[in-house]
Amino acid sequence: MKLGLVIDLDTCVGCHACAVACKQWNTSGTTGPLSDYQPYGEEPSGVWFNRIRHYEVGDYPTNKTINAPMSCMHCDDAACVTVCPTGASYKREEDGIVLVDQSKCMGCNLCSWACPYGARELDEEAGVMKKCTLCVDRIYDENLPEEERKPACVLTCPSHARFFGDFDDPQSEVSSLVRERGGYAMMPELGYQPVNKYLPPRQRPKAPTVAAKQSEDSGGLIAKWLKRQKDAFNQLGEG
Amino acid sequence: MHPALSVIFFTVTSGAGYGLLLLLGSARLSGIAPEISSNQTLFAGIVGLVLVTLGLLSSTLHLANPKNAWRSFARFKTSWLSREAVFAILFYPICLVWLAVVWAVGNSTLSLVLGLFVAVMSIVILVCTAMIYASLKTIRQWNNPLTTVNFILLGLLLGSLILLLMLHQQNIVVSRLIVISVFLISLSALTKIIYFVWIGQPAGPTINTALGFTRATVRILDVGHSSDTFLNKEFGYEVARARLIWLRCLCVLLAFVVPAFLVSGVIGEVGFIHLIAAAFSAYVGVFVERWLFFAEARHVVNLYHGRQQT
Amino acid sequence: MAALPEFENHAQQSIKTTTCYMCACRCGIKVTLEGNEVRFIQGNPKHPVNKGVLCAKGNAGIMKQKSPAKLTQPLLRKAGTERGSGEFEPISWDTALDLLTQRLRKIRATDPKKLAFFTGRDQMQALTGLWASQFGTINWAAHGGFCSVNMAAGGLYMTGQSFWEFGDPDWDHAKYFMLWGVAEDHASNPIKIGLEKLKRRGAKFVAINPVRTGYQAIADEWIGIRPGTDGLLALAFVHVLLKNEQFDWDFLSRYTNSTQLVIDAPGTSEHGLLLRDGSGELQVWNQATNAPDAWVDTRVSAALFGEFKTVEGVQVKTVMTLLVEKYLSDDYAPENVAQRTGVDASTIERLALEMAHVAFKETITIDTPWEDWAGRKHEKFVGRPVAMHAMRGISAHSNGFQTCRAIHLVQILLGAVDCPGSHLAKPPFPKHVAPPVKPAKHMAPNTPLASPPLGFPMGPEDLVIDDNGDPLRIDKAYSWEAPIANHGMMHMVINNAVKGDPYSIDTLILFMANMSWNSSMNTAEVQQLLKKKNDDGEYCLPFIVTCDAFHSEMVNFSDLVLPDTTYLERFDTISLLDRPISEPHAACDSIRQASIEPDRDVRPWQEVLIDVGTRLGFPALSNEDGSAKFKDYKDFIVNWEKAPGIGFLAGFRGENGEKSMLGEPNQNKWDAYIENDCFFEYKLPVNQRYYRFANKDYLAWAKSVGFNAHDGPIVMELYSETLQKFKLAGQGLYDGPLPKADVDKQRLIDYFDPLPDWYVPLEEQRIDNKAFEFHAVNQRPMFMYHSWDSQNAWLRQIMTHNYLYMNRAKALSMGIEDLAWVWVSSHHSEIRCQVKLMEGCNPDTVWTWNAIGKQSGAWGLDKNAPESKRGFLMNHLISELLPSVEGERRLTNSDPVTGQAAWYDLKVNIRLAAPGETGVYPEFDTIKPLPSMSDTPSVLKYATHTAVNIERSMSDVIKRGGLR
Ligand SMILES: Nc1nc2c(c(=O)[nH]1)N[C@H]1C(S)=C(S)[C@@H](COP(=O)(O)OP(=O)(O)OC[C@H]3O[C@@H](n4cnc5c(=O)[nH]c(N)nc54)[C@H](O)[C@@H]3O)O[C@H]1N2
Ligand SMILES: Nc1nc2c(c(=O)[nH]1)N[C@H]1C(S)=C(S)[C@@H](COP(=O)(O)OP(=O)(O)OC[C@H]3O[C@@H](n4cnc5c(=O)[nH]c(N)nc54)[C@H](O)[C@@H]3O)O[C@H]1N2
Ligand code: SF4
Ligand code: SF4
Ligand code: SF4
Ligand code: SF4
Ligand code: SF4
Ligand SMILES: [Mo]
Repeated sequence: MKLGLVIDLDTCVGCHACAVACKQWNTSGTTGPLSDYQPYGEEPSGVWFNRIRHYEVGDYPTNKTINAPMSCMHCDDAACVTVCPTGASYKREEDGIVLVDQSKCMGCNLCSWACPYGARELDEEAGVMKKCTLCVDRIYDENLPEEERKPACVLTCPSHARFFGDFDDPQSEVSSLVRERGGYAMMPELGYQPVNKYLPPRQRPKAPTVAAKQSEDSGGLIAKWLKRQKDAFNQLGEG
Repeated sequence: MHPALSVIFFTVTSGAGYGLLLLLGSARLSGIAPEISSNQTLFAGIVGLVLVTLGLLSSTLHLANPKNAWRSFARFKTSWLSREAVFAILFYPICLVWLAVVWAVGNSTLSLVLGLFVAVMSIVILVCTAMIYASLKTIRQWNNPLTTVNFILLGLLLGSLILLLMLHQQNIVVSRLIVISVFLISLSALTKIIYFVWIGQPAGPTINTALGFTRATVRILDVGHSSDTFLNKEFGYEVARARLIWLRCLCVLLAFVVPAFLVSGVIGEVGFIHLIAAAFSAYVGVFVERWLFFAEARHVVNLYHGRQQT
Repeated sequence: MAALPEFENHAQQSIKTTTCYMCACRCGIKVTLEGNEVRFIQGNPKHPVNKGVLCAKGNAGIMKQKSPAKLTQPLLRKAGTERGSGEFEPISWDTALDLLTQRLRKIRATDPKKLAFFTGRDQMQALTGLWASQFGTINWAAHGGFCSVNMAAGGLYMTGQSFWEFGDPDWDHAKYFMLWGVAEDHASNPIKIGLEKLKRRGAKFVAINPVRTGYQAIADEWIGIRPGTDGLLALAFVHVLLKNEQFDWDFLSRYTNSTQLVIDAPGTSEHGLLLRDGSGELQVWNQATNAPDAWVDTRVSAALFGEFKTVEGVQVKTVMTLLVEKYLSDDYAPENVAQRTGVDASTIERLALEMAHVAFKETITIDTPWEDWAGRKHEKFVGRPVAMHAMRGISAHSNGFQTCRAIHLVQILLGAVDCPGSHLAKPPFPKHVAPPVKPAKHMAPNTPLASPPLGFPMGPEDLVIDDNGDPLRIDKAYSWEAPIANHGMMHMVINNAVKGDPYSIDTLILFMANMSWNSSMNTAEVQQLLKKKNDDGEYCLPFIVTCDAFHSEMVNFSDLVLPDTTYLERFDTISLLDRPISEPHAACDSIRQASIEPDRDVRPWQEVLIDVGTRLGFPALSNEDGSAKFKDYKDFIVNWEKAPGIGFLAGFRGENGEKSMLGEPNQNKWDAYIENDCFFEYKLPVNQRYYRFANKDYLAWAKSVGFNAHDGPIVMELYSETLQKFKLAGQGLYDGPLPKADVDKQRLIDYFDPLPDWYVPLEEQRIDNKAFEFHAVNQRPMFMYHSWDSQNAWLRQIMTHNYLYMNRAKALSMGIEDLAWVWVSSHHSEIRCQVKLMEGCNPDTVWTWNAIGKQSGAWGLDKNAPESKRGFLMNHLISELLPSVEGERRLTNSDPVTGQAAWYDLKVNIRLAAPGETGVYPEFDTIKPLPSMSDTPSVLKYATHTAVNIERSMSDVIKRGGLR
């Protein structure tokens, strides 16, 4: 199995719901709590596994706005794992989820340096590295209804821009989306082979218009409509 | 990258230590200082070990969870940091045995062999340390062979100056060591300058490839948080261009030019003061170099925060 | 696979369903509890509103519950201290309610209008409105007047349904969707769910908005319009549609007043009124008899076009004739509106023709037979799948009412109203145009009002004015200044009351409204007004009672503070009598159940209202002998009936809960709701789902359940006789009340066009537009609700301060760089803030996020929190009054028809701040903490249990090579 996410940039409105859902679930999850520093102070910040950034592509007036959520890509060639000296960071053999064993991490930050996607954040309070767990503590929890065994971010996304599934299964929703919509990996040139894929904005064909027929001036138009109405009425009369 | 003082101190100081021990361990065989006495070896060796140890201790300050530091031996198979840790620990018994032999038996074949072993270990550790950085594809300023070359050369440079200082009363040795130092200074200055020029060229991933929009200008509109996060603090470090240039000059001046002048006798006869000044200047210079090594390194995650290219 | 540990102790957890109130969208939620702590809040997949999804705010409910700004006990301003100085003493609920009741009893027994009761972005207007009526004061309203009454009024006076939260685009069938001026809106989750559906189905999404963020980001086409000109754009669409003969002839004839006859008798009191016969029936021109005939007689072949003369010699024209005469004029030709709107003529034409294509060439049908009101049988529902939605980008302008009508006109011409693929009403809508409820104007001591305080005037005689023509309401709603102010004018209350214009009041009760900060225009001055005293040293506004749940800026200016519960701590209803949560195809309501025990001395406002109302002896709440009719709020909800069988909750009625919509009180109602995940949904039968304005079965049902007063057809009014009556009054031609002041007359003449119209926004008409070059507007951030969410430790990490966004090229051309500090001035005042440059912004527009700026010390935040040091409000620049004109009384900065606050009419100029001039201006005093407010933690580590770590085995650590 190769579990991961597909994120649809054509429908993501950048609402941050997935980011907060992630925070909410994971703060009491397997790597929780996710500390918040100065929560009511001057520089509030904290540990998040999923962050939403907003970009503009192109110059006004041909600009487009892109909202890009990013969390761990669960890379196939994850240097964050190979650099880890303690073995706290690892990629699960059974499903490819990249995790940090909280009891083994020494907080050296090296894995975060190795991650191109900014997916790892050190919890300064706990002194250990944390990251997206792909909600491993939800997706296998048989006490949850089956349709809820999905990552919190996927469950919550109001514009259904997030999909979760097995990329090894060519029939899965994620595989077919990637196939059909040209799903791509971010920064592929670094060779990390991110599992998560992004769907580019759809290109809509030009919308057809009714044939313009602006031949007459307005006076003529009204006269024409009057006639049309009379003709229709007369026809009605005859019939 | 955020230039963490603990890490800078670690790489510079233990680098100097390993540089010193490398020269020392191979001093007699290589002909750098065959005249060195066992006492001198012992003393310099202890100095080297102290430097190494200070550096290593400092490196643990960088750990957010040092109680798990011992676990860093676990992933020798893939992790350069793990390798460094393993070798650094293995180094101690070997180095101590060598120094013990030197102390007990004096110069002997055994000490010669052990010294050589220490030298090899030293260079291996310097490579490991360098590779921690050089192996990161995310930071193109590090991800190149010059990183390892610089780590080794600068360790040797500092090591040679310290050795010089300790042997300053032995004229023959000093003049030989001066040649070696000047050679090391020139070579490392050259590689460092090549490095500066090389990282000056924008290269590697761009904000366009980072996001997959390659056909138009991409600009950040909002990073999605108002205060700095771990990512900004760790990777978002920015130094003003003018300050960078100034610091680079300072680095070249202190690490290379001043020591070169001082040890080469251009400004007066090479005395203890000169040597101590040279070592000190070089140490500070390399410290600045290492600070720059971090401060000038730009992690690709910055692309997601709006940088066009790293 | 290595076995995973047991992460959650499910045995210790319980799940409660309830309704979110992190905003007014009111999604269904499932709250997983561990003890009295919340483990996780998720969307309820069964819920009709959100279908399982949840927004950022909803996901941050835990941090609202943990907020340090929560009020903990009733507070009274310390005797001898100044209002606004933040000196409070805690009092008991008994004392607080005694004090309040005594004061109110006196007012009620003497002059009930001396109590003004206004509520903000709440959702319990059915209860507060009933309470005010029972008290006997007409001075009641909710936030609608400063929010979006233009959308409600624009729709209800034209189509009987409206945008805002009263209708939805048909997300499942629309093929073309046009979004006008929406950043987030109330249907926060539904819009997002809907947009994705549209895109998946390949529908085209066009966004009209000066700014490209959020929803507009994913639009297929972005029209970066100049603010305030949408009406012109819509009418240019109308022009193109007419010119190209793209309109639905049958739809217009059948369902609108387009065939009705307008009397053409300039200079007389009949001019512009609709022709009626002796019995009052509206007339059309019968082509067979060549004479007027009744519109209701569907056998008549009515002329859509034409100018006629009756035998009595009355000259008439059909509505449609007037309409085409108006809109075919060159004033609305694309090339003539392009400059003003900032949209190319070719784009305008193309968009109109694209819509026409979808409406007429891509028509869809749903094969369900249905019958219209006249008994005509239809095989299927024909759908013109063009949908629209519009909100505050339209409504928050002083031409918003007419602009909203212009947009509805486009829909109606396309036949795209309540048909498959178009804009669908949500029950209880559609309603007759306009709903037959008149605003109350008579008051008497100790007597409930005879009708609700708010209603729908149909002409000058319905205004709430005295014999002199002066306003009777404290907010001057329904006066000549704002005749159709259907939702009141909350933004004028403090101003008017302090100035004693039209009169002074004694007590102001505010519920859920932050009127000393982000909800008022001209914040700085409002704070001064709140502190203002008259000559005898009394406060001009003698007593202010605030019911809030948190330490808001308004709490600081209150005399009596009544602390509310949080949404997770109370029982509550979201009623069909109110702003319901219905879906287009289902009438819905819902409840909230308390999931968490409050740890403070707080009471739900619902309980307090029932309690105080009972003490005051409201007939609805107490018996003759003064005893209570209801035990408490829950009992009230179960047993109170508006009319027989109709109460606050429509579900599970009847003794055993077997009846829907109508039925006797059910004593187990709360349990029945809880059993059903806290909501009730009555799905309309399939033949009642479209064309409801004319759908016989639907109309009959809507009458039977009390939605509508009768089951006659709902006729869309392209031409509004009501508006014409006001216009006649302006001309001095109306048989009824007439305005006295010239300015009132002129406004009626200028802005009460019976056909949808466009005019330059009022502020723009009165200022030097060269001196104030930029339009300045706001947007709602998707992850914050007005002022509520800066207290939220998670949400505020996303944004603690805002910037003024400008078009990059434009700003650079003025020498303004990214992050520069600038001065922004309006005709009224100035602020200093920091600029951010962007591409997706109309070059003549600047904008910022709404309500991010906070007063230092409020909301449990550090006094140096960026919300107060770098965050700013645009409100300081906006005046509640229009720029003055010599010899004229000051006029409200509102839509002249509806009284809607014209927030987005603001025009500003921008200049670079001097070097070193940084930080926001104006700065406000730091608000003092309340007694017993606890210190805020420096670190938060929220978790409901100790984490269960997944151990990686040492053998795996050692053995595994690389990744595999
Ligand atoms: N997350 C969140 N949701 C909320 C709220 C909140 O505070 N936060 N508040 C709720 C409330 S009370 C309300 S009233 C609704 C309001 O919901 P919206 O109607 O979405 O209101 P605004 O955020 O004011 O957005 C107005 C939009 O109109 C655009 N605009 C401004 N002027 C013009 C114009 O002249 N023409 C056009 N075409 N566009 C224009 C602005 O750029 C902006 O995008 O949201 C509700 N939902
Ligand atoms: N510049 C500018 N100003 C604007 C707008 C704009 O677009 N631009 N938009 C306007 C619009 S549309 C609106 S609707 C208003 C919003 O106006 P308001 O309705 O005043 O919005 P809030 O600021 O959210 O204030 C609501 C108050 O309710 C309190 N509250 C929250 N939950 C509870 C609860 O459970 N019980 C009680 N009792 N109180 C609670 C909050 O603490 C807060 O003090 O703002 C208006 N102001
Ligand atoms: S995204 Fe980063 S943390 Fe996640 S697997 Fe890839 S490299 Fe590792
Ligand atoms: S921070 Fe922890 S997980 Fe990351 S590399 Fe260091 S020990 Fe491994
Ligand atoms: S999969 Fe789970 S942990 Fe990962 S981003 Fe989504 S919610 Fe967060
Ligand atoms: S929840 Fe969905 S729409 Fe919102 S930011 Fe996340 S991916 Fe985008
Ligand atoms: S839109 Fe969000 S905040 Fe509003 S009710 Fe729904 S989940 Fe709650
Ligand atoms: Mo609003």
